[in-house]
Amino acid sequence: MSTVMEQMPIVFNALNVGFLQTLKLFFVTLLGAFPLGLIIAFGSMSAFRPLRYFTRFIVWIIRGTPLMIQLLIVYYFPGLVLGKTIWGGGESGRFLAASVSFIINYACYFSEIYRGGIQSVPKGQQEAGLVLGMTKSQIFFKVTLLQMIKRIVPPISNEIITLVKDTSLARIIALQEIIWAGQAFLKGSQGISGAIWPLFFTAFYYLVFSGILTIFLGWLEKKLDYFK
Amino acid sequence: MKKKIFALVLSMVLCFSMAACGSEGGDAEGEAVVTPDTTEDQDVGRDSNEDGESDLAYVKEKGTLIVGITDFEPMDYKDDSGEWIGFDADMAKAFAESLGVEAEFVEIDWDNKVLELDAKSIDCVWNGMTLTDEVTSAMECSRAYCNNAQVAIVKTEDADKYQTVESLKDLNFAAEVGSAGEGVLAELSYNCTSVKTQADALMEVAAGTSDAAVIDSLMAAAMVGEGTGYENLTYTASFNSEEYGVGFRKGSDLANELNNFFAISSTDGSLMTTAEKYGVQAAVIGSDE
Repeated sequence: MSTVMEQMPIVFNALNVGFLQTLKLFFVTLLGAFPLGLIIAFGSMSAFRPLRYFTRFIVWIIRGTPLMIQLLIVYYFPGLVLGKTIWGGGESGRFLAASVSFIINYACYFSEIYRGGIQSVPKGQQEAGLVLGMTKSQIFFKVTLLQMIKRIVPPISNEIITLVKDTSLARIIALQEIIWAGQAFLKGSQGISGAIWPLFFTAFYYLVFSGILTIFLGWLEKKLDYFK
Repeated sequence: MKKKIFALVLSMVLCFSMAACGSEGGDAEGEAVVTPDTTEDQDVGRDSNEDGESDLAYVKEKGTLIVGITDFEPMDYKDDSGEWIGFDADMAKAFAESLGVEAEFVEIDWDNKVLELDAKSIDCVWNGMTLTDEVTSAMECSRAYCNNAQVAIVKTEDADKYQTVESLKDLNFAAEVGSAGEGVLAELSYNCTSVKTQADALMEVAAGTSDAAVIDSLMAAAMVGEGTGYENLTYTASFNSEEYGVGFRKGSDLANELNNFFAISSTDGSLMTTAEKYGVQAAVIGSDE
């Protein structure tokens, strides 16, 4: 297994498996964080003070500590305290723990973006809605939401692109995503050892994927470019 | 009042959704991770642990011995069908079988091995682990079952100049952080850069960013020289020798159980047969000496 040409099929196979795990974490995080972020955004705008302060406190904690530490705490802490891990054995447990950490972390960032989006809609529109006899939820879903979505696309795109690369942090709890897969060939795996190029090549996967996302998000932004 | 009720409902939704998101991740994985069975086990495991009772009973109760490993030929590595094999992996399977449980292999981040044990996400570390003071103080270790030495890795063209430990003293070394290699360099107060893995140390030498590296001889035999990824590297002087052991949770009775197993398997010859299969027979320590 000395030439790069011979190594390629094995390496690409391993990198693909790793990248699939990266993608899975990416999509699960988005699916969870989009709705959870909205709930947190409502919490942080609540007129009920204890809830507002509590939510902002949580957001402060999550945004104020490194995601890497959050991963370690979420995965190891229950086992250390309860004497038995709550995540179940094997790789599925690691994936579950990583998903939960990522969803909570990204939901907090999204919540602030949502809040900015909601508050950027002129208050006069809500007042107009009330005058017309609409309920609060009617005002939110029929007046505010569409304008908010349009306004938050650029900042959310930013977070989404960041998330693509942040998934690599999950290797700290030994989630076998693409960087892990690339690094395995450095140390020796499947008969290939000391191969440096697979690790560097992982960057190409990230680059292509975030390129596709950029195009998609750009298209989405254009599509939402109705009313000024 | 209406607002307050609304807020209360929202906060409940918040709590609920956190739980919901957790299970959502599980569904995506396609496996029900937390089953009622494991909750039962949880109580059993906790009770026995708090009473300082048997780790052996805990492992038997759940029916699996989770072995924390890294991809490390010839100790633990995957064959073509994706099954974990190697000297350590085969012995771990045999040990698990002798306990009447199944061995499950999980790749871990080597830096977090003690954390993994304490958090019960693994039951033992069985991966050519050098028995250093740090290791033996943090884990319950088996007796040493394999010898190993730390060797210096240099470029082949410079190999003649650096055959002794003394001749290496002015070089800049790279060694894995927390490894035995880093330890011997610190003892000799040689210049050393800590890197993440032994493989990174080799890359440092290959790239010329360090003059030499210190890694395990077992690993060196597999990774440098003719027919490997580092053909222009070789190993020269060897530092103090060391021994491999298996680590369990502090206070675990499994360590003693494993020593008994080693005694039996060295008597019936299965230890040596397995060692010969992976070419490590010269390094294996047969009986308790």
